[in-house]
Amino acid sequence: MLSSDRIASPLVSEPALRQSPLHDRHVALGARMAEFGGWSMPIQYSGVVEEHLAVRTAVGIFDVSHLGNAQVSGPGAKDFVNACLTNDLDRIGPGQAQYTLCCDDATGGVVDDLIVYHGRADDLHLVPNAANTAEVVRRLRAAAPDGVEVVDQHEDFAILAVQGPRSPEVLRRVGIDAAMDYMAFDRVGELTVCRTGYTGEHGYELVVPAADAGPLWDRLAEAVASEGGRPCGLGARDTLRTEMGYPLHGQDLSMEITPVQARCGWAVGWSKPEFWGRDALVAERERGASRLLWGLLAQDRGIPRPHMTVRHASGDGADGREVGEVTSGTFSPSLKVGIGLALLHRDVAEGDELTLDVRGRPSAVRVVKPPFVPPHVR
Amino acid sequence: MIPDDLRYTAEHEWVRDLGDGRVQIGITHYAQDALGDVVYVSLPEAGASVDAGQSFGEVESTKSVSEIYAPVAGEVVARNEALESRPELVNSDPYGEGWIAELAVEASALSGLLDAAAYAQLTSE
Repeated sequence: MLSSDRIASPLVSEPALRQSPLHDRHVALGARMAEFGGWSMPIQYSGVVEEHLAVRTAVGIFDVSHLGNAQVSGPGAKDFVNACLTNDLDRIGPGQAQYTLCCDDATGGVVDDLIVYHGRADDLHLVPNAANTAEVVRRLRAAAPDGVEVVDQHEDFAILAVQGPRSPEVLRRVGIDAAMDYMAFDRVGELTVCRTGYTGEHGYELVVPAADAGPLWDRLAEAVASEGGRPCGLGARDTLRTEMGYPLHGQDLSMEITPVQARCGWAVGWSKPEFWGRDALVAERERGASRLLWGLLAQDRGIPRPHMTVRHASGDGADGREVGEVTSGTFSPSLKVGIGLALLHRDVAEGDELTLDVRGRPSAVRVVKPPFVPPHVR
Repeated sequence: MIPDDLRYTAEHEWVRDLGDGRVQIGITHYAQDALGDVVYVSLPEAGASVDAGQSFGEVESTKSVSEIYAPVAGEVVARNEALESRPELVNSDPYGEGWIAELAVEASALSGLLDAAAYAQLTSE
């Protein structure tokens, strides 16, 4: 028998959940809606595997309006944010975007990971995760010098993602210039179009005023269908990002998991004199993290799931000693096997064969360096 | 979507009386739709004896895992080996090619199960 609880729970939408301006369109398309970061969002339309493969082979359109929006502006806004968030904003200029982290100053734990858009003037547009937007805004606002304003614009904008090898054709079909470098963006009126995404494919994220989101979705969805693509839900977004080894905040990054442990050091401006968590992170980097985020590739039919325990294989002399825990895991629609991300003891090395505890049954996994499939973002 | 000739459990499994002391079991259309894309079915071992309500397998989708409990007591006499390579049959044909196992059961085993009308009422609530 199937547990009724587990079947029923994802179908229940609580009235307090926030809704995307595209909510009615998703319902009309027959999407399965579920809670994500306090929002009711489409998890899937036709099925996770079909949607996932559409993005890998053609194109998909996602509503990611649960993602937050915040504006930091005023004289010195860039220098202020650069002294707070980890990545070095001096690496980019106006019209470019950057992946960065908001860390806790005391512990170096990750409050959130986010994208920063560098505006033409001394202004920055932040796109944090849904559940963390208010906290990122709170921390920045508390630290902001006079004249620098931090405004939470969470529900002012919708965000659409067009992802996949056919995404440039989709944008061209609706009259949007698609020729921009990876992590560069264009502003057309109030619409911001950035060459970014969370799938590992060539793609774009479009930040649009909430009131304009419906017509834009309609035009893009029609173009996506013409290019052999389809609407995709957050279920496929999760399997796509897991195949890339991209961390998800709340699972692979958290207040308890530092960027050093999660191998996000590339998003830290180590030479900067100041950013939140600098002392803790520099110290951890110098002594070496006690655990590191690795990929797990299943060697049998087992599928890693968050919180599963990872052990040394019995018989290798380590007697099944526990070495860590899965932080993200799923069935890979591209590879047709289980894959996962796991925080593992510093002694674990690439190529090690470990044992995953799959609800009491041992399952063989190999330690690998993500991505699990080749990225095509550039 | 709810065949009249099957019996059901409140936990979204179906039971087909094969008429010779054997029953075939699977999960309902409603269950496969709620689970999403099935990517692995952990099948019960042939020869195993199971009690009604005993967990004897798992259906794993891209996002979740659900246990399969025996809807009736009996002995596992067959398992659907086709699911090993084509687990998606549970989605595409839940009452046919997506069957999960066959059990040898006592004649009275089906008496406690729901008929199609009762199951339809359950899933419309």
